[in-house]
Amino acid sequence: MAECIVGISDLKVSNNQEDVLITYALGSCIGVAVYDPQVRVGGLLHFMLPDSNLDVDKAKANPAMFADTGIPLLFKSCYRFGAEKHRMVVKVAGGASILDDTNFFRIGQKNLTALRRIFWKNNILIDGEDTGMNHNRTLSLRIADGVVKVRGSNNFTRKL
Amino acid sequence: MIVDELLHSIQKIPAFPGTVQRVAEILSHADYSVSELVSVIEYDQSITANLLKMSNAAYFGSRHRVSTVQDAVMFLGQENIIRAVVASGVVSFYRNRGGYGVKGSDLWRHSVGVALMSQILSKKLYDRKDGELFTAALLHDVGKVVLGEYIDRSFQKIERLVQKEGYSFLTAEKEVFGVDHAELGGKIADKWNFPPKHVEVIACHHRPDRSAGERIAPWVVYLADQVCLMMGVGGGSDGLAYWGLKEVVQMFKLRQRDIEECMIQLAQELALAEDIVNIFHD
Repeated sequence: MAECIVGISDLKVSNNQEDVLITYALGSCIGVAVYDPQVRVGGLLHFMLPDSNLDVDKAKANPAMFADTGIPLLFKSCYRFGAEKHRMVVKVAGGASILDDTNFFRIGQKNLTALRRIFWKNNILIDGEDTGMNHNRTLSLRIADGVVKVRGSNNFTRKL
Repeated sequence: MIVDELLHSIQKIPAFPGTVQRVAEILSHADYSVSELVSVIEYDQSITANLLKMSNAAYFGSRHRVSTVQDAVMFLGQENIIRAVVASGVVSFYRNRGGYGVKGSDLWRHSVGVALMSQILSKKLYDRKDGELFTAALLHDVGKVVLGEYIDRSFQKIERLVQKEGYSFLTAEKEVFGVDHAELGGKIADKWNFPPKHVEVIACHHRPDRSAGERIAPWVVYLADQVCLMMGVGGGSDGLAYWGLKEVVQMFKLRQRDIEECMIQLAQELALAEDIVNIFHD
């Protein structure tokens, strides 16, 4: 089994049946795992911020940094391996926030809102999610069978 | 009482390496003498070894192998020498000391992230990189090194306070142990005879509003810490369960996009962060 680590502002796509794509330490960032069970192709994105208008040049150099550039790239990269949108299973984790009554630090919530807006516009349903709260998460996707696992608070792991 | 046990264990923490403070002092003068700096560094074998490793790290992309302290000092420049020397002195306290559900290398990774973020923020907020702040930021969580094993043992109790009672992780620590990791860190820094500014930055890094003397530094490190927690840089089982203080927004006249821009900058420096993490934590 090959573990492929997806870093912050990074995405990986694979059809190698040995691979497990994994991303650690999702705080406010969001991990998106997509998988087509028919061709057994999957991808994992770890985006950091909601909106690429913040810095268009950075978004060009590194689209995986933002929700609005990373999510389309994630899907397109899977299509290149033969995946098709109507078969894709979509699971998300992350978007945590620090304790805050001012709305100022709520990047996690902004990320979640951006993600839902993009999915809504593109008619994509979320098949499983573990989001919000205030703890870190680790998200993994096994290419062989599309099993997605999330490890959250107190190192407890569950299938998504 | 656990609090007595914890305060007692602080006494067993080894002394902070004198070379680090000596180098910081030399570098605080703009017209420092390179030969004096070299002779102080060469006196310390582990710092010398780490400085050479950092000079040859991928991030700096030196085409020629740097093999003497003299060359390393010239090659790295003031800012990176202080980073290398401080990191080298601090890392031993994190080695083999896990806790908060993670390995010592994750506590270390978080510390390096906060130290780099404190530089990014101070450049953005008052247009200068505050080298002194780097040391305090790198040590802001040193209290976790002592508290770590106690946290893991009592995690369920703490988690219940956080999830069910709405406590912040810091308040939960205080409730369960009689002392929190910031307070403990301040006591460690005090034992090391750190300047009061550093002690206060460490002790107040979650509650800069409680800092008595220092007006700016604890807020910068506080903000750097919060942003790194959000970015998940080396986060532990305490996660993001700390309070966001709205005063920080008014104080620095911050916009949401300022924070997001700083996150982008740190994301780009994460390669440097990983170099620092790995070089020193071998």
